[in-house]
Amino acid sequence: MSRTEDTDEDFIASAMPIFISEAQEQTDAVENYLLELEEQPDNRELLDSLFRCAHTVKGSAGIFGLEPVVEFTHHVETLLDQMRDGRMAFSGEIGTLLLKCNDQIRWLVETSALAREDSAEQQETRAELVRQLRRLTSGQGGGETPREPAATEKPAPLGLKWKISARFGRETFRNGMDPLAVVRYLGEIGQIVSMRCLSEAVPALQDLDPEACYLGFEMEIEAQKERAEIEGAFSFVAEDCEYQILAQESASQKMARAIEELPDTPRIGEILAAVGAVTPERLAEALAAQQKGAADQSAGKPKIGSLLETEIGLAPEVVQAALKKQQKMRDSAAPEEGRYIRVQADRLDAVINLLGELVIASAGAMLKARSSRQTDLIETNLEMNRLIEDIRNSTLSLRMVPVGETFSRFRRVVRDTSASLGKDVNFEIVGGDAELDKSMVEKIADPLMHLVRNSMDHGLETPQERAAAGKPMTGKLVLSAQHETGAILIRIEDDGRGINRERVLERAWTRGLVPQGVVPSDDDINMLIFEAGFSTAEQVTNLSGRGVGMDVVRSNIEALRGTIRLNSRPGKGLRVDIRLPLTLAIIDGFLVGVGKSKFVLPLESVVEVVEAGCGAAKTDSAGRHCIELRGAVLPVVRLRTLYTVESTLPERVSVVVVNSPRGKYGIEVEVLLGQHQTVIKPLGRLFKTLRGISGSSILGSGEVALILDVSSLAELAAMDGAQGARGGSQLSMQAAGIDEPPVSGGA
Amino acid sequence: MTDQFELPSELTIYSAARTHNELLAWASRQVGSGSDIKLSARAVESVDGAGLQLLVSLGQTNESWRLVDASEVFADACRVMGFADWLDAPRFQPDSTREIP
Repeated sequence: MSRTEDTDEDFIASAMPIFISEAQEQTDAVENYLLELEEQPDNRELLDSLFRCAHTVKGSAGIFGLEPVVEFTHHVETLLDQMRDGRMAFSGEIGTLLLKCNDQIRWLVETSALAREDSAEQQETRAELVRQLRRLTSGQGGGETPREPAATEKPAPLGLKWKISARFGRETFRNGMDPLAVVRYLGEIGQIVSMRCLSEAVPALQDLDPEACYLGFEMEIEAQKERAEIEGAFSFVAEDCEYQILAQESASQKMARAIEELPDTPRIGEILAAVGAVTPERLAEALAAQQKGAADQSAGKPKIGSLLETEIGLAPEVVQAALKKQQKMRDSAAPEEGRYIRVQADRLDAVINLLGELVIASAGAMLKARSSRQTDLIETNLEMNRLIEDIRNSTLSLRMVPVGETFSRFRRVVRDTSASLGKDVNFEIVGGDAELDKSMVEKIADPLMHLVRNSMDHGLETPQERAAAGKPMTGKLVLSAQHETGAILIRIEDDGRGINRERVLERAWTRGLVPQGVVPSDDDINMLIFEAGFSTAEQVTNLSGRGVGMDVVRSNIEALRGTIRLNSRPGKGLRVDIRLPLTLAIIDGFLVGVGKSKFVLPLESVVEVVEAGCGAAKTDSAGRHCIELRGAVLPVVRLRTLYTVESTLPERVSVVVVNSPRGKYGIEVEVLLGQHQTVIKPLGRLFKTLRGISGSSILGSGEVALILDVSSLAELAAMDGAQGARGGSQLSMQAAGIDEPPVSGGA
Repeated sequence: MTDQFELPSELTIYSAARTHNELLAWASRQVGSGSDIKLSARAVESVDGAGLQLLVSLGQTNESWRLVDASEVFADACRVMGFADWLDAPRFQPDSTREIP
């Protein structure tokens, strides 16, 4: 006895995390459906999905004996059920209530794992929600008073038709129940339109167990009743009976269903007629023959294909070909989606780590093969490299998820925030299907959340202010994602008041972020809002404006090797552009050398390479000069000078032209080493401050190469005085760890 | 050999086992002798789903059975359960003189 209890407990303990993660997914889905439903309240499919989610949570919570979840969710389900029956329309009020309920369910699910005691406060919240739900479901104003039958209920539309089908269990009679009584009761609460007893399951007399029930029925009934009342007819037999109650569909619903039920694949005759193998008339004859055959022999309908063969004399190979084609179409129409396997994220990470090591090792093997000068060995290595690249790409794509999942979370934030601030906001999501590495998606969510809240709080004005400024009353907030070369661009755009540069500057002066009287460029003033300890909000709200956060936002994004840029049009709006690399693991790189140092450029950003003479062109102290490229001036940054790499002046240099968000520019390097699969290793803590460099990589030879970040390099090069090149740390390349790799990885 | 089978006054789950036995024995005798399968429900005073199910089962065995008479209680149950066509079988004359209980 206790043994089985133990195993039960073991089972529950081991399955609980799965239940919780699945229930969390369900509640997330519920939230999304609710928010979508607010936009399209008549969408029946959404409502059904919503109901299914709630039902799943309730069902699985029941298995784990989580009574509070089951009990609470049941009330939510009742309300949803009434909406499904069309007895209640979805409204903003219901939406808000259901969102709160969903939060409560989520909380209950999460705390069930911790076995934490339900606080009195939470219980009170829940009781209040249940009261509100009850008030809605009973269609009455007051929640406490017992409801009076039918008096205040919303009348159902006249002549509501229901379709009921029921199948009774074998034990029905022995349990003292009777289908006849159920039907009689139904006859009392409504007008039975049609009634058919399902007696096919009843065996012949000699095989009959007279006390077992084999009956079922299908009926149509006209009753001005609620579903619950009809269900009441089954309340005593519920355990022994499978039943289904459907509100009768209207003509248009019927047609929609008929379309839905059309076969996905064409019929065999249609295929044959389409290619002219059989005329429509002959086909009709054969079909008629098929019908007749079906009526004559009970063994089942003869196949139309074989009929066409025998009756019309169609060549068997033609029929075979048509059958094959039909099967093919059926196969391709079979749903591919929904076939997922769950894999723990760290297992996937382990594979990707190994893959990184494999890439490095194969680069080493390639190097050895080249130096051996054995053509066969080089060939084999090349083939292997190609395969490794394929594996790399498909493995990395396993981690890619659409950013839209994260974005849709913001709907709720925007909704609640706008309500609490009294602002009208039209929130749009564009390009949610752009994919990004899963770990990035998780890390970007918080900074994005903060920026969205900031836009709502400080950017968008109240409806009155907007009207006064001649703007539409409803503000606009757009969250978009799109792919750019080797990166993803996430943009948060609002049409609010933009950044008030004067106020920002004043604040910066008083806070000592900028020396008194110094006026930086417009862009620099905008970026001041990301400085630590900066806040211009006149009133501190509980949403944002506590002066913490914006600097954290920037450092979070920079930690992901991303950049953040502001584009403010005072009075018109603010645009925040966040650029993130697609992955944190492995990129295609372009390997270049300066002196003894090696650098990697992301291959996607490389446009072309041009030769640029002997490299003696005059540069300023930051290594900047210009060259002429097909009649246009191209700014060029010389890495040797920028990072003070020690090397003898080479005879000739190359300029790698790269694309950056600031436009095209050139990077002057000395040696071109070609394409290189680059496993990104993070920089050591000492070198985090080094600007323009986003990471390091280990080459096949064991050397360390630094990965250049073209967009931050561009910004670095564009800086006045170019003091920023070495950040505050004044590192020379030697110190930057060429002799001692900053990260050893697994090599 | 009786011409028709008299259904008992209590055609319910309580008597279903007994009725089933009797009906089975009688029906197989009838089939053996080539006679018609005719049933009378004249005496039926109470009926439930289990009782009706017996007749459904008889129908599965032998489709040509006929009802020759029925009490109002029985006829009503047939109508409710969607077996009104049993009552329309030829030679069945509703007993109009019987009081509706």
